[in-house]
Amino acid sequence: MYKLLFQQFLRTRACQLGLTLVLILGGISIIIGKQFLTDQGRLADQATQMQQEHIERNVKLHGDDLSLLLYYLKFALLNETDPLAGLSVGQSDLNPGVQRIRILALEGQKYDSDLVNPTKLLYGNLDLSFVIVYVFPLLVIAFMYNLFSEERESGTWQMVNVMARSKSKFLLGKLLVRFLLLAGVMLFLIGVGAVVLGVAADTAFLLFTLTALFYLIFWFALCFWVVCLRQNSNVNALVLLTIWLALVVLLPAFVNNYITNNYPLPEALSTMIKQRDGYHVKWDTSKKETMEKFYEEYPQFANYGFPSEKGYSPTWYYAMQHMGDVESREDSRAMQLKIRSREASSRMWAQVIPSMQAQLVFNEVAGTGLDDYMDFLQYMNEFHENLRLYFYPMIFSNSEVASVDWGQFTPEVFTNSNKSINWTKKLGSLVITILLFSVLSIFSVRKLI
Amino acid sequence: MRRDVLLLVARQFWTSVFKSKAIYLLLGLTLILLFYAAFSGVSYHEQNHHRIEHQQQARESWEANPDKHPHRMAHFGTFAFRLKHPLSIFDFGVESFTGNAVFLEAHKQNVVNFSEASYSTSLIRFGELSMGMILQLILPLIVFFLGYAAIVADRENGTLKILLTQGATWKEVLYGRALGLFGLSCLFYLPFVFATVALLLMESYTADVWIRLLVILASYLLYLFIVSLLTIIISVGSKTSKNALVKLLGIWLLLVVVIPRTSQAVGSFLYPTPTKLEFRGAIEEEVIQFGDSHNANDPYYNFIRDSVLEVHGVQSINELPFNYPGFQMYVGEKISTEIYVRHHKELLDQYRRQNQLTKWLALVNPYLGVKGLSMALCGTDLETYASFQHQAEAYRYELAQAMNELQIKHIRANVTSSEGKVNVVDREEWKSFPDFTYEYPTVESTLGSELLALISILLWSVVALGMMNYWARNASAL
Amino acid sequence: MLEAVNLSKKYGQKDAVVDLNLKVEKGEVFCLLGQNGAGKTTTINLFLGLLDPTSGKALVGGLDVVENKVSTNQILAYIPEVVQLYGNLSGLENLEFFSKLAGQKIASDELSKLLLEAGLQEEHHKSKLSSYSKGMRQKVGIAIALSKQAQVIFMDEPTSGLDPKATDEFTNICKSLAKNGKSIFMATHDIFNAVNVGDRVGIMNEGRLIYSSHTENIDASEMQELYLKTI
Repeated sequence: MYKLLFQQFLRTRACQLGLTLVLILGGISIIIGKQFLTDQGRLADQATQMQQEHIERNVKLHGDDLSLLLYYLKFALLNETDPLAGLSVGQSDLNPGVQRIRILALEGQKYDSDLVNPTKLLYGNLDLSFVIVYVFPLLVIAFMYNLFSEERESGTWQMVNVMARSKSKFLLGKLLVRFLLLAGVMLFLIGVGAVVLGVAADTAFLLFTLTALFYLIFWFALCFWVVCLRQNSNVNALVLLTIWLALVVLLPAFVNNYITNNYPLPEALSTMIKQRDGYHVKWDTSKKETMEKFYEEYPQFANYGFPSEKGYSPTWYYAMQHMGDVESREDSRAMQLKIRSREASSRMWAQVIPSMQAQLVFNEVAGTGLDDYMDFLQYMNEFHENLRLYFYPMIFSNSEVASVDWGQFTPEVFTNSNKSINWTKKLGSLVITILLFSVLSIFSVRKLI
Repeated sequence: MRRDVLLLVARQFWTSVFKSKAIYLLLGLTLILLFYAAFSGVSYHEQNHHRIEHQQQARESWEANPDKHPHRMAHFGTFAFRLKHPLSIFDFGVESFTGNAVFLEAHKQNVVNFSEASYSTSLIRFGELSMGMILQLILPLIVFFLGYAAIVADRENGTLKILLTQGATWKEVLYGRALGLFGLSCLFYLPFVFATVALLLMESYTADVWIRLLVILASYLLYLFIVSLLTIIISVGSKTSKNALVKLLGIWLLLVVVIPRTSQAVGSFLYPTPTKLEFRGAIEEEVIQFGDSHNANDPYYNFIRDSVLEVHGVQSINELPFNYPGFQMYVGEKISTEIYVRHHKELLDQYRRQNQLTKWLALVNPYLGVKGLSMALCGTDLETYASFQHQAEAYRYELAQAMNELQIKHIRANVTSSEGKVNVVDREEWKSFPDFTYEYPTVESTLGSELLALISILLWSVVALGMMNYWARNASAL
Repeated sequence: MLEAVNLSKKYGQKDAVVDLNLKVEKGEVFCLLGQNGAGKTTTINLFLGLLDPTSGKALVGGLDVVENKVSTNQILAYIPEVVQLYGNLSGLENLEFFSKLAGQKIASDELSKLLLEAGLQEEHHKSKLSSYSKGMRQKVGIAIALSKQAQVIFMDEPTSGLDPKATDEFTNICKSLAKNGKSIFMATHDIFNAVNVGDRVGIMNEGRLIYSSHTENIDASEMQELYLKTI
């Protein structure tokens, strides 16, 4: 029977059209993913090459003054791109993957954005996660909406009624045919993507695949329940499309607007002003005061003492710079906290909205979510401090430029390693919704005449 | 076409729709969405208050500076906070993806930072709920839902034959139903018009804003007109109501979801943009070709220095009647700014080329037409953002050069250090340099750059009417 | 009142109506018998002007339908097999709509009278059409034809699916319509009813009118025999 059901379904126009569409879009999405990874790789290469040239040139230009040289020198920090990012680009196209940092006040450099076409960002990426989250459900709907009603509308249901030993088995058979086909296509696309992008077969990839699969099953369960409510094809199509619209367009937009309004970030702007004022005002205040504050932060340097109130002093200059960060620290932390709450809040909402859950898990697994970027920024603080603490004593003691081994300063790569996968948290809510709709379907299927 | 028959058919369609409960449900849902979108729009726009506050705060600390060396002030710098256009409450456009604040200082073109998207979760990529979005995306679906069966259902059950034998012509039936459907869509549209006008009336705005609103409202009206006609056309051209529905939903997906993303992806693929490293690198490279204005021994600047010395007939810069380092920076700023502005324009042009395909596709996709037009007129498109960047950069240049001029004029010739309270300029100078103010582009320039979208909407109206007339002649009642 | 002159219609290569010649006089009821696909509905559609003939002419009130669509349209009415109309409007509202469509401005109580005349009891006038039985719907269809003051009424399978009582009621209404001078052209499967209500009966097979006779000369069982023999 399954063979015939397969044949019958494969011959429908909806099936042929739908599969062609999703294969084309899937193909495009993998190409786009590849392009994205290539760009990221190119960026990393450029950063490495540029860093070397940049240091060489500046050492040549300002080789007589270490403090002046370090005013100019930029040290690159790279955010490592997981190949999975090619499948789910997430926010990593708008948040910079590399930041070149000077040892001056960090707050003024940290948030330097990338050069991106805002219109492109608005329309969004056509990556595989988009195809899975947006397009696959549409195919599920297109394949499922008349699963039962077409039999009734064309009059074959009566026949099935009489002939089939179990009507629910017949319907489940039809369902299974459609599911196997779509799941096959989806796994095929993910597989091709993995090979093309060079994704490692690790737990992250497994989680990605399972999330995609469960998300697909969720849509099948939902559609099956709706079609078993015995409405006609038109009503089913409308109801299912409305649900799709709600799940992938309206609800995420709703939640996003809510989060944006609920956690406004004026701190972003005030951090900026405080950082500038914190540093610049020091030019006009007593040097001693500034140095005292600086030594409070770093008592290990207290032995460098206080420069004369008249004239310029590199120790004082870098202390002033650091004061910019110190005085904006509170606002900066408040901002970090709020951004983390934004992420936490959207994860909470995602527990009840499968489309959001799938997208967030994809991004998380690929390391392209907001949290990953925040981790990067947090690491940047460490990176910046390490550099400063390395150079401070040299600047303060007027060391020779030549005494530094400049070759060691290749771009640092940040790998987010402290991520553990909590399977129940990632897949639990999807499984629960699948079970819910399966149970509902069982009840409705029983009532079918 | 007889007017009374037309109205009769339209009214009958209207009353039929209102006999079912679905319409009230749809109206209710739309109103909820509208309310939420308007609320979001207003509260997004409220951020202007923060920005104005911060602009003032930044200005206060600028003015609070004591007597200082002007070059310190050039680096003290100031900020430009991007203010949202009053109409951004209606359509968010690229607003969330563009930076909101930029630090303006001498020698250095900082990027505009803190876009909403940069600290939003990836949910923002699902799209944002604005009034414009509901009208562009959701309302067409509602119109399809209300109208997909308008003709084909009557044909399926034979009522169409009665309609025609009762004396109505095809033209009257088609246009009557279209009129009824268009009327219904206007009913959904009207609350949006009221809401926007009411929100705008709460604050007083210039004529420019009202003209923009007028064009926006008119183009959405035309968009709904096109959508209504399209629904009727698909309905008359389909064999069964199921076919009509599936076709319309397919068209919706194609026009709204598939084409925009794909065309933008293709555009970006065809016209790659430089990375920030490349962009900065290329500028740095060019600037270095001239020389380093901070470096007193740079060959290019040495040449300039020697020419200046020659003109003034003196031996060293200390004998010049003005501060030479200030002059050198003045020249350097001019050169580096020219180079930056040129590169930045190239970058913008590349963005424009990336968007070109999407813009042209408006000719076959009215959704893209109305979206582009709406974003542009609401001041939330790339061009408006570019104008902000342009103005901020122009201000930055003015600021840097004003400080350089002060240095040239007021600082003694032989002074090279900017530290301390010795070589300073009166603090009143800071106050007399005006603060940054942002001017939105005028409606004329906006319409000029969105001509294609405007044409698309008008063209589609004509095409839709043409197709209606085609079916009025060729439709079959059987 | 109604005349077909060498009327033919082809769908591509397939003949639907071939060389049809027939006449229906004022006040006459003509019943066209035939199997599914015999060409009955096509004939009606040709008279209604919904199809253009391949050759020959369909005349209504002496005018060629193709050339005078507007004027011929004014004097004819059509009642389909199942009168669907607008289910969420009442019978009265449907009648009001369709009569206005025909350019008639009739007061509400006059419309009620038309419904009564068509046999629909007053208690149903204001209930939704979706609650009507098939027979009741047909009565609304007849009232619509009456409101238009049509001279010729076309009916497609009017009695299929009607119970015997409703069929009888319908037959009486048709007869009284004919008595008031209306011409009725009815396509039907129902031989008994055709003989009962029709003044004349024709049999159509594969697009050809192969038999035509007055009903005075023949009874239902003879007609059935003839029908089975000819097709």
